[in-house]
Amino acid sequence: MRNLDPVRAKWIRVRVGVLSGLMAVGLGVVVSTAFRVQVEDAAPWRALAEKQRQRRLHVQPKRGSIVDRNGVSLAVSIEVPSASIDVGELIRGIEMPGDQESFLRESARMLSKTLTLDEVELFAKMQGRPRFLWLKRRITSEETAALRQLGDPKRHTRPIRGIAIDGEGQRYYPARELGSNLLGFVAPDGFGKEGIELSLDEELRGKPEEVKGLRDRSGRLIFAEGTTDERTLQGADVVLSIDSAIQHVAQRELDAAMRTYETKGASLVMIDPATGEVLAMASSPGYNPNDYGTSDPEARRNRALVDRFEPGSTMKVFTVAGALAAGTLKPVDPIFCERGIYQLGSVTIHDTHVSEWLTPTQVLAKSSNIGALKIGLGLGEAGLYSTLRRFGFGESTGLGLPGESSGVLRPKARPWFEVETANASFGQGIGITTMQLAMAMGAIANHGKLLEPILVKKMTDSAGKILRESHPRVRQQAVPGHVARMVADMLVAVTEPGGTGVEAAVPGFRVAGKTATAQKVDPLTGKYAADKFTASFMGFVPAERPRLVVAIVLDEPMIGRYGGDLAGPVFRRVAESTLRYLGVTPTASTPRIAEVKQGDDPAGAALAGMRPPSVDPNSSTGLPVEPVPAGTPSVEVPNTTRLLARQAVISLTQAGFVPRVEGIGRIVRQLPAPGTLAPKGTTVRLVLEPPS
Amino acid sequence: MNFTKNLRTNVRTLLAAPLDAAPVQTTINGPVDQWLGAVVIALMGFGLVMVYSSSEIFATVTRHDPQYFLLKQLGYTIAALGIIAIVSKIDYHRLYKLTYPVLFSVIAMLIATIAGLGHRGGGAARWLHLGIINVQPAEVAKLALIIWLAYSLAKKADRVKSFTVGFLPHLLVAGFLMLLCLKQPDFGSAVVLLLLTFTLLFMAGAKIGYIMGAILTGAGFAVLAVRYSPYRLARYVAWADMEKHRQDLAYQPFQSVMSFGSGGVHGVGLGRGLQTLYLPEAHTDFVSAIVGEELGFIGIAALSLVYVVLCARGIRAALSAPDDFGSYLAFGISTLFALQTLVNLSVALAILPTKGLTLPFVSYGGSSLLVNAAAVGILLNITRQISVPRRVAEQRAGEDATPAAASEMLGAVD
Repeated sequence: MRNLDPVRAKWIRVRVGVLSGLMAVGLGVVVSTAFRVQVEDAAPWRALAEKQRQRRLHVQPKRGSIVDRNGVSLAVSIEVPSASIDVGELIRGIEMPGDQESFLRESARMLSKTLTLDEVELFAKMQGRPRFLWLKRRITSEETAALRQLGDPKRHTRPIRGIAIDGEGQRYYPARELGSNLLGFVAPDGFGKEGIELSLDEELRGKPEEVKGLRDRSGRLIFAEGTTDERTLQGADVVLSIDSAIQHVAQRELDAAMRTYETKGASLVMIDPATGEVLAMASSPGYNPNDYGTSDPEARRNRALVDRFEPGSTMKVFTVAGALAAGTLKPVDPIFCERGIYQLGSVTIHDTHVSEWLTPTQVLAKSSNIGALKIGLGLGEAGLYSTLRRFGFGESTGLGLPGESSGVLRPKARPWFEVETANASFGQGIGITTMQLAMAMGAIANHGKLLEPILVKKMTDSAGKILRESHPRVRQQAVPGHVARMVADMLVAVTEPGGTGVEAAVPGFRVAGKTATAQKVDPLTGKYAADKFTASFMGFVPAERPRLVVAIVLDEPMIGRYGGDLAGPVFRRVAESTLRYLGVTPTASTPRIAEVKQGDDPAGAALAGMRPPSVDPNSSTGLPVEPVPAGTPSVEVPNTTRLLARQAVISLTQAGFVPRVEGIGRIVRQLPAPGTLAPKGTTVRLVLEPPS
Repeated sequence: MNFTKNLRTNVRTLLAAPLDAAPVQTTINGPVDQWLGAVVIALMGFGLVMVYSSSEIFATVTRHDPQYFLLKQLGYTIAALGIIAIVSKIDYHRLYKLTYPVLFSVIAMLIATIAGLGHRGGGAARWLHLGIINVQPAEVAKLALIIWLAYSLAKKADRVKSFTVGFLPHLLVAGFLMLLCLKQPDFGSAVVLLLLTFTLLFMAGAKIGYIMGAILTGAGFAVLAVRYSPYRLARYVAWADMEKHRQDLAYQPFQSVMSFGSGGVHGVGLGRGLQTLYLPEAHTDFVSAIVGEELGFIGIAALSLVYVVLCARGIRAALSAPDDFGSYLAFGISTLFALQTLVNLSVALAILPTKGLTLPFVSYGGSSLLVNAAAVGILLNITRQISVPRRVAEQRAGEDATPAAASEMLGAVD
């Protein structure tokens, strides 16, 4: 403006000054506002900003795993993605209500198409503009990818915002049916139902903790603040005393028995008598907890704990032990068994095997009811009752699993009448569980000490710190040690030729056991049914230094009825496999299998028990039970020892046998031996060893 | 003083020629205002830092590339430096011939944007695809209006005082541009255009009465525009009662003020701001909120001071420009920077309702940065042309200069 005349230039200068002044005022307003906000009111604003940033997260910890004693996973939690949406975020920035509506409709259409949902229903849910809405839980990886595309601003001009895909824990049982009745399952809401999952639910779920985190606009967690306690991220891991290999054998054999004898149900408990650890607990029928929704609720019951049954003859063991401990019975006292029929008041008691004079050992071996009741009555009502209580009957074993029955000793809650005492002495009129039976037998095996069962060996947090560890605990001395020892010796007779439990004999080992075939009360009539039985067997092996105690209960078999016939073989197979698995060397002088030459098979004698037809039915010590699969023609077992395994299997199958191949290499041994007569359908073991 | 008198006489003689005469070529190579250049480069550098700090998370989330906006802004900054260098070399008088082409092409771009060729963003059509970059015609329109007003006001000189010649045409052209901006809709730019027009009219000497009348009329129109546009009305209501609307329409200003407040006096430190998680457009229109959070009141005050220096140097150029055109141009450009800064900070501090205006040289955005660079180039060229005559005049003053000798001397420089 140097070109202007001074007056005009002066006025321009003045006006520029005025304008600059106005702008300076504007700047003054801005800076003073900044001062007020940033210096004077800073604290409340900062507090507000911090509050909005911090998100109190209820971190749902990953559910702990359940593993067996060797660390094999039985139940694990895996992360499965689930999709949710923040509808507030979705429509943020869309001003017009009409536009919002149409965008919601469009989004609902696309989302329902991607996730195969009901469009109308989804749209209705989105109408409420919730800040959190589950779209679909447990989505596939394809759906995840499709959702991510919908939210990708590069692909869509109007991406669907506010979609969140979070991992949600889903329970997975890698071993499927294995131990299902024991483990239980987890409902979609994350709470354990039944079994271990329920009883240790709190520990497995872990402690949901409030964690402060930093969140962004859509409420997503950016990162957690500070160090998070690792324990909050995962629940406790549970180590069971169960050995899944043993459990597998137990379950397999139990299922086979159930199918073969068409029982209503079956249960098996195996414990380590020295520690009380439960090595296997099986219940048939089982179910697949990965898909529990389709299973019959009946099949989910843990029969070994929940089902109460009248035990029958197995109780005679405890009656005898109690009488021996109380001194009312001497080991050599002969007992007159009334030739099979005994009148007690108005009740007539029968024995299956007519006998006159029997020693206590023979009473057990031949399972004489009359002998047992005489011993029981000798012990007296109070003595018998307290004996059974000392063996743990009538109260829960303390496993802490849901639904465990404590059993019933005095059903009418009053002392027994004489008949009831007599009944109880051979196990009728009272109710027990398979678990109780195994523990009580464990006391016999363990010098009379009744242990507390251990199912959970230990619990560790995610950092490996041991939260809880179980140690063997003696509940009480059921009977003096020497009495238990004596009874154990007596019980070996049960599985020896002449006893009821020869089927349970394990080759190469001395087995102490007791069979039972109990009558069942017909729920309709309230009286004992003529055709309903509970067949059971309990035993331990090796008898002189017990490594395992097994109790097997078969409920209402349709084929056969006797505990020795039905439950005995289950015991033999399970015990045989387990002993081999545990590496227990046979006590009987059985030469090493590799040295066995064909033809002179010393184990054959012990194995005789496995071959029902080979037993002479006319023998004086004859088996007290009917031969099993009656009516099946016996055929000669072909010789396979020179054949290749494959050819051996073919030739056995053609002959009508069921081959079972053990090991690899050449066939070194065949059981039953070639040339013996065996009914069709018998399992023929082929022992293979690699050529040395 | 003798010196000033001499100077004035010399220059008056020198530029006695009519304003539409051939541009004076002699003074192009004079030094630029180094303060102005330094301040602008400092602001652009600071802008890069703040764009990175405020966009990193957003870029990571939306583009999976934390440096996405930083690298783009770096490219714009390099281009802007080139533009400043080139434009500051071009004699600003050459804009004479470019005035109408620029004005018409801007109008064409605005119409094209409204007509639907534009690229929509944030519920408004403000961008136009031009080859490789998206242009915001409204940004260009601000500079085009300044050039046209400077040209027209300088040409009309004293006739500015008249209503029909000096007042109405300018208001009509500005009004037309504003209308095009409002159609986008871009209320902020329209307001800036109006304020620029009034400022330059007032400076050039238009009657206060006309201006006041126009301001009142404009205010009336603004009220109507707000009242009968549900979108603007909702924004206004939300701004007026921010606490109640903090989750919806006033979310952005509320979060912005929260950013300022949580910065306190010293700020939380560069790159440590967390409000970027909540504040939408933190790297563009609300970058000042992140400055406030990360550098605190001290940072905001310092930044304000830098803008004061920028505008003061611009006004200094306006006061000492060789001619009316240069004066109006320099003052218009200074006012543009000042208005943009003031409105941007006011919006960020919720003194004004939300407008989409950038913070000059600091906010992310190519159009705004390149247009502002061109404006600074023009301003620098004006400063080139004031320093040389003064130095020449100083020399001449010592040698008892005569007007004739001065023109001789200048001729020799050429």
